[in-house]
Amino acid sequence: MNAIEIRNLSKSFRSMYAVDHLNMTVPIGAIYGFIGENGSGKSTTEKLICGHLVPDCGEIKLFGKDFTDPGVRVRVGALIENAGCFPGSSVYQNLMMQAINLGIENPDEEIRRVLSIVRMESNAELKFKKCSLGMKQRIGIAMALLGDPALLILDEPINGLDTDGMRIMREILVDITKNYGCTVLISSHILGELEKIATHYGIIRRGKMIMELSAEEMDSRAQVFVSLKTKDMEGAKQLLSGNFADVRLEEEHIRVYDVDDTEKIVDCLMRGGHVVSEIKKNKIGLEEYYVELMSRKEDK
Amino acid sequence: MNSTAKELKFTSPSFTERLRGMLGVDFYRLFHTPVFYIFLAISAIIPAMVSAMTMMPDQNGNTMEPLYSNVWQIIAADESLYVINTIADYANMNMVFIFGGIMVSIFIGHDYKSGYVKQLFTTHPKKQDYMMSKSLVSAFAMACMCISYLIGGTVAGLLVGYETDVNALSLIIAILGKIFMSLGWASLYTFLNIIFRRYFGLSIASSFFFGTGILIIGAAAIVENLSLPTSFLNIFLYGASVNACLSSDIWSLFICILVSVLWAVFYNVLGTHILSKSDVY
Repeated sequence: MNAIEIRNLSKSFRSMYAVDHLNMTVPIGAIYGFIGENGSGKSTTEKLICGHLVPDCGEIKLFGKDFTDPGVRVRVGALIENAGCFPGSSVYQNLMMQAINLGIENPDEEIRRVLSIVRMESNAELKFKKCSLGMKQRIGIAMALLGDPALLILDEPINGLDTDGMRIMREILVDITKNYGCTVLISSHILGELEKIATHYGIIRRGKMIMELSAEEMDSRAQVFVSLKTKDMEGAKQLLSGNFADVRLEEEHIRVYDVDDTEKIVDCLMRGGHVVSEIKKNKIGLEEYYVELMSRKEDK
Repeated sequence: MNSTAKELKFTSPSFTERLRGMLGVDFYRLFHTPVFYIFLAISAIIPAMVSAMTMMPDQNGNTMEPLYSNVWQIIAADESLYVINTIADYANMNMVFIFGGIMVSIFIGHDYKSGYVKQLFTTHPKKQDYMMSKSLVSAFAMACMCISYLIGGTVAGLLVGYETDVNALSLIIAILGKIFMSLGWASLYTFLNIIFRRYFGLSIASSFFFGTGILIIGAAAIVENLSLPTSFLNIFLYGASVNACLSSDIWSLFICILVSVLWAVFYNVLGTHILSKSDVY
């Protein structure tokens, strides 16, 4: 059984497919990074899972049950686009409304618990409209966390956050999956941040899922490369190109792909009279992998 | 993994539990936001102002002809007046259904404006929960506004010095009839707000339009010209509301309850269907 299982899901607006026969599998306990460019169908897919939009066709199952089952939906927490709070009400009042909605027995205690998870205990009485963007995002997370959800759906939760805010959000998400057994579906444009927490990835393009893979699979697919600097970058690149298959001059570094033997590279350069000032082994990150994957798809 | 296994129990809440949750939210919001109290105050002030206005001197310094002769005419007309001739025929507790429409539009409109409706629909896949809860809470708010109107109108009428003679039973029936009509009106406004959920201004305008009873007044004029019996207009919300007057009998109360409940069911079923078949946010 998976947390989310989507088969053949479609949604169109004015006969344009926003989600086009999409298949998706999110394992239980995963932090699933949902990646795609603007307008690729991420938010639409999330809204379909939450029942905000009516699908044209397809099947959505949450924990093996139909997504319209009230028993499973009451265990879904969502932060889509914004926190969905009343600006004139306090943080506490907004959370209280959701706690009552979920039928939580001891709402006050539950509100204190989620506020402490998002580190906002001292801001409970603050009016929502007075909160900063980072605080609003955290309140949105707190709202989604009420009632011990089994599944969290978060649409761009780290948008607009500063470095510290992103770190806090990252820690919160890891904490809730590890300590509360929650599955998280998270979409974000900030792939560097996503890479630090995601256990699985789904890459969507023009409404279609083009790839799903685990973080381990991503790691094994990620190209290894050696990055280096010399005084004569152009000359060094020409020399290395004669000895290695994939050599690229990228910004201030030369990258030699699919090679992890730095000695061989240094030896080659020294024989050619080049002095290496900086050299390191590396792997391409999620962002580069994604960009490359997209450019390959574009070429096709 | 132990904790994961422990969490994966999905117990479907019963209809009562779901409705209780949704009603709880709506009542909490109603009592914690100023809009409800503002409209309660408006409901009390308007009849007082209408009464006071009639006592103001005109351009020649003469006191105007009073709108009413009796305190209770501020609450309901002497008889069922489907076609109105003067402002006095119109200005009674039925006006609450106009203010109520605006209040319900603001109340429901903020669900969509704030985005809170996303939280509700994420956890409540059954759209009838939403329709029923909004209709019931709005009906409660409008019933409170009727009581507020009753207090404001009565106090103002007594201060102005109108007569107080009335058939007590008919008065009670008229008041109760109008309070019961709140359910039907609230369901209509909830339905209109579902239709115009993306257009806050339109939802307020449509509620105001229907609340004024312009449609039924127009229909009544046609019926009167055709010399048809006007009593069939009682099957409509405005007609039944007008029918609850100072000459009402128990039959009028029965009509109010029946018409209100039937229209409430109609609008709830239709609203639920529309919400289930369309994108909600």
